Amino acid sequence: MLVRYLIVKYPYDLMDIKKLVFRLQDFYILSIKSPFGSFRRPFYFREIIEQMDYMGTGSLFIVVLVSLFIGMALSLQISAELAEMGMKMYTGKIVGLVIIRELGPVSIALIFAGRVGSGVASELGSMMLGHQVDILRVHGVNPLKKLVTPRVISAILMLPVLTVIGDAVALFGGYFISTFVSHQSGSFYWSQIQDIMDFENIFAGLTKPFVFGYIIACVSCYMGLSTKGGASGLRSSTTTAVVISMTMIIVFDFLLTRILLYFLGANV
Amino acid sequence: MIEFVNVSLAFNSYTVLDRVSFKADFHERIAILGGSGEGKTTILRLILALIRPDEGNILIDGQDITELSESQLREHRMKFSVVFQEGALFDSMNVKENVAFCLREYTNLSEEKIDERVRELLKKLKIENAIHLMPEELSGGMQRRVAIARSMAECESRMMLYDEATTGLDPLTADNICTLIKDISEGVPPGRVGFIIVTHKVTDAIKIAERFLYLRNGKIAFDGDIAALYSVEDPEFRNFINELFVAEKCR
Repeated sequence: MLVRYLIVKYPYDLMDIKKLVFRLQDFYILSIKSPFGSFRRPFYFREIIEQMDYMGTGSLFIVVLVSLFIGMALSLQISAELAEMGMKMYTGKIVGLVIIRELGPVSIALIFAGRVGSGVASELGSMMLGHQVDILRVHGVNPLKKLVTPRVISAILMLPVLTVIGDAVALFGGYFISTFVSHQSGSFYWSQIQDIMDFENIFAGLTKPFVFGYIIACVSCYMGLSTKGGASGLRSSTTTAVVISMTMIIVFDFLLTRILLYFLGANV
Repeated sequence: MIEFVNVSLAFNSYTVLDRVSFKADFHERIAILGGSGEGKTTILRLILALIRPDEGNILIDGQDITELSESQLREHRMKFSVVFQEGALFDSMNVKENVAFCLREYTNLSEEKIDERVRELLKKLKIENAIHLMPEELSGGMQRRVAIARSMAECESRMMLYDEATTGLDPLTADNICTLIKDISEGVPPGRVGFIIVTHKVTDAIKIAERFLYLRNGKIAFDGDIAALYSVEDPEFRNFINELFVAEKCR
């Protein structure tokens, strides 16, 4: 059995490991080189603006809609729990903390990964299959600079903007529920939100979207550019891009939370 | 001069090219024939260094391109213009932007000059009315024409590479594309811009090419001119080019 494995299957397994190592190396090169591409000629400002429009303006409606309902649902849950303990007036503080530090950045990044990640992977994937990327290379254009850098820069810039907007809308949703459903004081709600708007919370909440944007763009571009095998290959690379992006968002959220809590001097 | 020296390439366990060797001048009109999956397009991709061989050397003007880095390959690739199967037009750009792509990317021409050059090329290819259309609004034949116009906009290229340029087109449009390919390659060697066309349509190849390579099982099974093509004795190759003899008989 072992001899058979060593002769028949082992070389293929070894080849798979070799392929995986090469893929990781390619991903590493793409993710390191792509942001720095924006500092060297030629500059692709038009592409960056186009991508910012697609990623930012294009995602605005869904981000606002989802954030509003997240804020409302969270406020409902928290005020119901706090009411049992007679501390309903602290709804604003808890809703604000949860949204700004954790739920806002993560939920908006997940929406972003679903919408933008799949879009980028399928667009670059179809360009690969249609030989458009080959044409760029034949014309002496570096696909990394022309296609990847604008997408990475745009995602790094637009996800924090969307997060700020989404957080604000979610807080407004929370205000709406706590005032009109839970019948609490609106001004007290906002004063509690104001209390938690310190450097630590804002810094913690705004660091994450930069990292998440970078991860989503790099993963999606890499998966798109490694598309092979027609329509089924495109489906596979798009799905993989979204799944890996979402998983990495959750994992990096934990790691960043741990790091930020350490550096911001919080006791855990 | 393009020179393949014992070039081998395999995808996983499937051998596409097995120690292939041939030489070609830039002014030659070559057709690479063969069935699907025989490695015809792979040869074009190897010439452009879009992929690297597992073994062997590819010399362009005496320089081994298999050892060049991606940045060094830019100068090498500028020697060629390529028209991929289906045209490979940028679908986010209209016809004008597609044709002007290279001019905008690598020349300092003013917008008026670029516009003038694009219109001139489109007029030559009889698609000037499509200048503002998007690729999805074009027919298959028009897409190939735009792709040819884009490749012609590159002034420095010394050889054209066509990947299945007439596949999927009706006979009339395919015939027009063949005439176009021949017109582009007009002139007298060695000053002429030659081409390599990859196709499995023998009747199209014979209209435009002067030298024919036939790929089978990863090797070049035939390399000769039109006279040699008609007198070929290899039964499998004869079978492949049977449509040629049928057309001759009909005539």
